[in-house]
Amino acid sequence: MWERIKNWLEIRVGLDELIKTHLTEYRIPKNINILYTLGFVALVAFLIQVVTGFFLMVYYIPYSGTAFRSVQEIMSTVPYGWLFRQIHVVGSSLMLVVVLLHTLAVFSMGSFKKPRELTWVVGTLMFFTTLAFCLSGYLLPWSQLSYWATTIATTLPTALPYAGDLVAGMMKGGEQVSGITLNRFFALHVVLLPLVISILVGLHLFLVRRVGISSPPSGKAAEPERPWTEYRHESHPEGPSFFPDFVLKEMIMVMVFLAVMFFIITFLPTLLLPEEANIPADPFKTPAHIKPEWYFLAPYQMLKIVPNKFLGVTLQLIFLLLFVLWPFLDTREEKDLLKRPYLRLLFFLSLILWIVFTFWGKYS
Amino acid sequence: MKYLLPLCIILILPPVASADWKERFEKEFLTRPWAGAQVEKDVCLECHSSEMMKPEARDIPRKWETSWHHQNGISCHNCHGGDPKDVENAMSPQRGYVGIPKNTQVPEFCGKCHRGILKNFLESGHGKALKSSGKGPNCVTCHGSHNVQKATINLINEPLCAKCHSYERVKIMRQALLVTENKMSQIEKGLTELKAQGVYTEEEQKTFFNTQAAFRTLFHTEDVSMVKRRTDEFIHQLNDLQGRNQKTFEELRFRKNFSAFLMLLFTGMGIGFLMFSRSPKKK
Repeated sequence: MWERIKNWLEIRVGLDELIKTHLTEYRIPKNINILYTLGFVALVAFLIQVVTGFFLMVYYIPYSGTAFRSVQEIMSTVPYGWLFRQIHVVGSSLMLVVVLLHTLAVFSMGSFKKPRELTWVVGTLMFFTTLAFCLSGYLLPWSQLSYWATTIATTLPTALPYAGDLVAGMMKGGEQVSGITLNRFFALHVVLLPLVISILVGLHLFLVRRVGISSPPSGKAAEPERPWTEYRHESHPEGPSFFPDFVLKEMIMVMVFLAVMFFIITFLPTLLLPEEANIPADPFKTPAHIKPEWYFLAPYQMLKIVPNKFLGVTLQLIFLLLFVLWPFLDTREEKDLLKRPYLRLLFFLSLILWIVFTFWGKYS
Repeated sequence: MKYLLPLCIILILPPVASADWKERFEKEFLTRPWAGAQVEKDVCLECHSSEMMKPEARDIPRKWETSWHHQNGISCHNCHGGDPKDVENAMSPQRGYVGIPKNTQVPEFCGKCHRGILKNFLESGHGKALKSSGKGPNCVTCHGSHNVQKATINLINEPLCAKCHSYERVKIMRQALLVTENKMSQIEKGLTELKAQGVYTEEEQKTFFNTQAAFRTLFHTEDVSMVKRRTDEFIHQLNDLQGRNQKTFEELRFRKNFSAFLMLLFTGMGIGFLMFSRSPKKK
């Protein structure tokens, strides 16, 4: 039976050749390391979000009068609804962690350099889309936690000159976060953002496959780079095969990801769903100690401490712009971060600052 | 890299040039509690804490801060009326200020919110004595005024009751209430624990609150036979609630075990993949 299906496909799509070209005979750099698997883990995390999101959407009612209740029904009445919601909630934060680690790995190994500038830019756009996913999804349970965290996040753009009020107004659909905001965020979360991220993922994978996987700058078999004066696919004829060698490594990391996710669900079930997540949203009752989600704590704290708010926002925009356009600014050929002390200093300083601001924002 | 400096200068110049441009943002964002700013103060508390207040009234804010009312967001104006945001009219009758009630008016004063108990109290011996002679106990005699604590059965105690009368009859009454009261403490503890574990307990809490409020109206009567008669009814409702709590705890245990199983499954699969990737057969 299996053979017949294979033959049927072989005749129509040339299955053997496809498998050979893209899997078994597709070679990867011989000194490839475990950090290269993070992109695939992020993709799996995204697919998990799609599947769990679909099941949640079956029971979720996107209306401010019923949203909270429907989420509580998912948690208490729908068979295994709690599991799908916990996977979705914990998975979203872990996905962001994986995307961040992937970005840091790519940056530290200089994999964004010529000819992969476009891959980096698309990757950063995917990172922003993931943040937009988190922001829009956070409001949907319509709890005190989600309502006020969203109120803070949607107030941040008002510091922008001229366009600030317009941006905040477009996000909120009025002066306050309301049922209109909920509908907008829901539409964004389940229609527009999945479409955008699917296109970006497709483009990112196409670019990775088209240009070829970059070699790590260091390791036991690092090779000197040839200058890129015209298009060519970076092949690694001496390297191990993509399947099964690299796929096995990827699967190990996916299992680590899933084990960490279920560790949090088992032992820290209230880490991302604290008590305020079980109180329905009340626009007339501002909690005293509400904070944005962990990934927005650093910009939130920065805005709080910079005396001129416009400057605070502009500094953040500069940082984001530099982040997206970095491959065009850093054009030196040396890929190894260890051989570039100033860049290494900048990299670790930025990382430490981000961590400090995040904790400061959390406990200030 | 050569474009970096000009780009930063171009972007930083306008905000530096227009310092303090965004007043609205300051107003709307930084003055809110989430930005760490001071929450607007209550003028009743400000005046009563100040030096100009007579010493016996200066301690009221501190007492109130330790009260059950404070924990539940009940402030000065909720009982005494007035406008806590307007220092000029804070004690204006036009803004509903009613001041300090007379001894005999206290039940109605508290009964604005505690309606069920008001009726019950006025029908009791305590209430009748207060209304007929003006000298009987009112709400604050047992509960206190500004440092009102959460009502529990411990309020029925010999030192307090013996101030006015013998404790013998009260003791029988306390015994009749004790079993139900203990059950309620257990249920309340369970609900708090469930809430802390992320379970939505609003419906159960409402049922519990209603049952508890109805039961506690009995505290204000001296009719032991009625207490005994109605105890069965309350116990039945509380058993039902306790059963529901128990089921939720079992469900939480199942969830924990199930996700722990999945965690171990994926850990095992990860180890399996690792061993396979290192096996000589694969190579």
